[in-house]
Amino acid sequence: MAFLEVEGLGRDFPGVRALDDVSLKLELGRVHVLAGENGAGKSTLVKLITGSDPSPTRGRIVIDGKDVAENPEKFRFIAYVPQELSLFPHLSVAENLFIPYDRADFTGRLVSQRALEREAQVYLDRFAITAKPSALVRNISVPDQQLLQIARASTNKHMKVLILDEPTSSLTTTEVERVFSVVKSFRDTGHAIVFISHKMGEVLEIGDDFTVLRNGEKVADGRIADITERDLIRAMSGSEVSFEEHFRPTPPAEPPSGPPVLEVKNLSGHRFHDVSFELRHGEILGFAGLLGAGRSEVMQTIFGYLKAKTGTVRLRGQPHVLGDTSHSVGHGLLYLSEERKLHGILPQLSVRENIGVSILKQTMARFGISSSKERALVKQIIAAYDIKTASMEKKIFFLSGGNQQKAIIGRAMATSPSVLIFDEPTKGIDVRTKAEIYKIMKRLAESGVGIILISSEMDELRKCASRIVTMYAGRQTGSFDNATTSNETLIGAIFGSGSHSNAA
Amino acid sequence: MQRKNLSFLLANPLAGVFVALLIIFVLSALLSPYFLTSYNMSVIARSLAFVGLVTVGQSMLLILGELDLSLGVIGGLCGVVAGMLMMTVGVNPWVAIVLGLAFGGVLGFFNGIMVTQLGLHSLVLTIGTAGIYGGINLVLTKGVAITNIPKQIQFLGRGDIVGIPVPFIIMIVVLAIAAFVTLKTPFGRYLYAIGNNPAAAAMLGIKVNRVRVLTFTAAGMLAALAGLLMVSRLGTAQPSIGDTWVLPPIAASVIGGVATTGGVGTPVGAILGAAIIGIIENIIVLFGVSPYWQGVVSGTIVVLAISFDAISRRYMRRDA
Repeated sequence: MAFLEVEGLGRDFPGVRALDDVSLKLELGRVHVLAGENGAGKSTLVKLITGSDPSPTRGRIVIDGKDVAENPEKFRFIAYVPQELSLFPHLSVAENLFIPYDRADFTGRLVSQRALEREAQVYLDRFAITAKPSALVRNISVPDQQLLQIARASTNKHMKVLILDEPTSSLTTTEVERVFSVVKSFRDTGHAIVFISHKMGEVLEIGDDFTVLRNGEKVADGRIADITERDLIRAMSGSEVSFEEHFRPTPPAEPPSGPPVLEVKNLSGHRFHDVSFELRHGEILGFAGLLGAGRSEVMQTIFGYLKAKTGTVRLRGQPHVLGDTSHSVGHGLLYLSEERKLHGILPQLSVRENIGVSILKQTMARFGISSSKERALVKQIIAAYDIKTASMEKKIFFLSGGNQQKAIIGRAMATSPSVLIFDEPTKGIDVRTKAEIYKIMKRLAESGVGIILISSEMDELRKCASRIVTMYAGRQTGSFDNATTSNETLIGAIFGSGSHSNAA
Repeated sequence: MQRKNLSFLLANPLAGVFVALLIIFVLSALLSPYFLTSYNMSVIARSLAFVGLVTVGQSMLLILGELDLSLGVIGGLCGVVAGMLMMTVGVNPWVAIVLGLAFGGVLGFFNGIMVTQLGLHSLVLTIGTAGIYGGINLVLTKGVAITNIPKQIQFLGRGDIVGIPVPFIIMIVVLAIAAFVTLKTPFGRYLYAIGNNPAAAAMLGIKVNRVRVLTFTAAGMLAALAGLLMVSRLGTAQPSIGDTWVLPPIAASVIGGVATTGGVGTPVGAILGAAIIGIIENIIVLFGVSPYWQGVVSGTIVVLAISFDAISRRYMRRDA
């Protein structure tokens, strides 16, 4: 008898069947992988089994042998860790762990700070979190924050099922190992774990069972041991995604004359020091490094969002003014942030307005912005970048992450830039959309746009980049030709060890 | 086809506030025989004009994600300064009006510069500058009104053109310009972009601070315009002008669909909201409600209106 059983579960929203006839069995002591593309219905399912959406349209959920429709208190066995960080940045680590206090058995009107911190240390040790219990959460590292979120969920004394939604999306390899060891220890102590991730390698490594959703329906389930990566991807996307191929741009037939597209010399700024590199015509230049190595800071400084301390940047041979984003955009240098919600979308505006704000030069007519021109252009962009939306008037907030990303890329491309900087463009995006974004980058590079790709996924860089620059702790540790460099050399440079050989 | 048109109308974010205005208007007409008289209509239109001008500016600031609590005081101070220029210094009244408008722009500009350059929160900053501007007003006038404003400019505040009060016409012209700017120009798109997500707007290459300062400046000028029209209507420059222009424009904007968190709404909606408040205040007077109760009644209606809005929005979100 499975601990949690879902039968024929369905959820309708006005006009949309978000989930239909889904069944799922979670057994204690096993890791269950929930896979599916963005918008496949994973979140809808999770909301139903955590009780945060209490009204399934069809079907039933049985936890611990009882139907939750009659026994809603059974939801207390379920703990959920959302993908986005949802901690209180101005409270201490200990306070974050135990809020709300009564759930963690801190009863009474007064909370002793000392008792709280003593108890917290137990959890921090178990999760190998290095931060002090008294530290403010905003001052601790992102990996520690991510682990703290899991630790917080586990302070629920009743927890039997732990749902992790993309727990590794902003972590690098070593930190992923920490998450895995936590997952394994929960599994070994008789918990059921639901693991949601787009990273195939992780899923295959940690999972015992799997369920694949597509368009709100269950399309496959079984044991991880019985399937291959290819099977899983095929089940998720419903078609063969050739993922063996690489997406490196074909170099131009004759080496381009003239200055490089972008030339950065001895640039220093907030959290990075003395960075120099060249971006040549028609190439994708990868940037590898650990979280906090300073890659985003370098790019945001070149773009003008952060202030530079020293150094120069030349764009197509011309000196580039630093510290002014509108100058950069005006001169065709664009930066697409890894934080789509924070730095990318205008959430309350429609898809049309989100794209329209970047194509005003083309839509201006004598009497202001022409709505017909705007609609026609936006329609073209939606088609060209295959943005899936019910209508261009839909608020962008309601689109899936992958489609938001495509809208942002389409918007940037509408201004015909000469340099495009992608910062983690596929974070939280499903395999098929990933491949689409890689293809777009390749196409752009081959059409002469200079592309910089920051990524924490080594696999992504190996697949897409022509050359790879590595950074460690705010310093540049190398620059390598992708095709001729071994993984070991690259990883050494990312961890700041080994000789800083410049192969390219 | 017919149904499609209807649903399009209902989907328009202004539909709710417009229907509410219509209902309140019809109810008022049914409840009081005096409501529809041309005299009463022109009273409503004239008072809507002054608060409306401030509302246009305030609503654009709110769309931008900012707020200026000193707009009322700016109106009062500019009225008094223009009055002194006319009466004490002897400047030509028309020149004094232009100078008064410019002064309003300067005061708004100062708010904008402080907010953008020092990164101050506009709510807190303008509580402070409202104190300063209001204080200067009292220092200049010692609390005494400047009387005998020249007859030649009183037309601006008191006059009618084909029975429509001049200040109301001015307000409608200003509103039309504001509607055009917000909907049809890049500047308008930038307002919404910044109000939605300032960091994303900066990433798009929008000159965020320039847009902010310009909007503060424009709002200051509109407040000054309201103050100057009030001076010409009263025939005296009273230090207390603008005292009641602080909260109603914010309430009107919210009723009209402008989110206090920024990025959503239109100046037209805000003016419809102001009209709702204006009619309610008028009908309270017509019914002879005790002045002590007026605040309670109009406040209750504002709370009801925005609660209704919040609830209906929650249902719309479920749809999406």
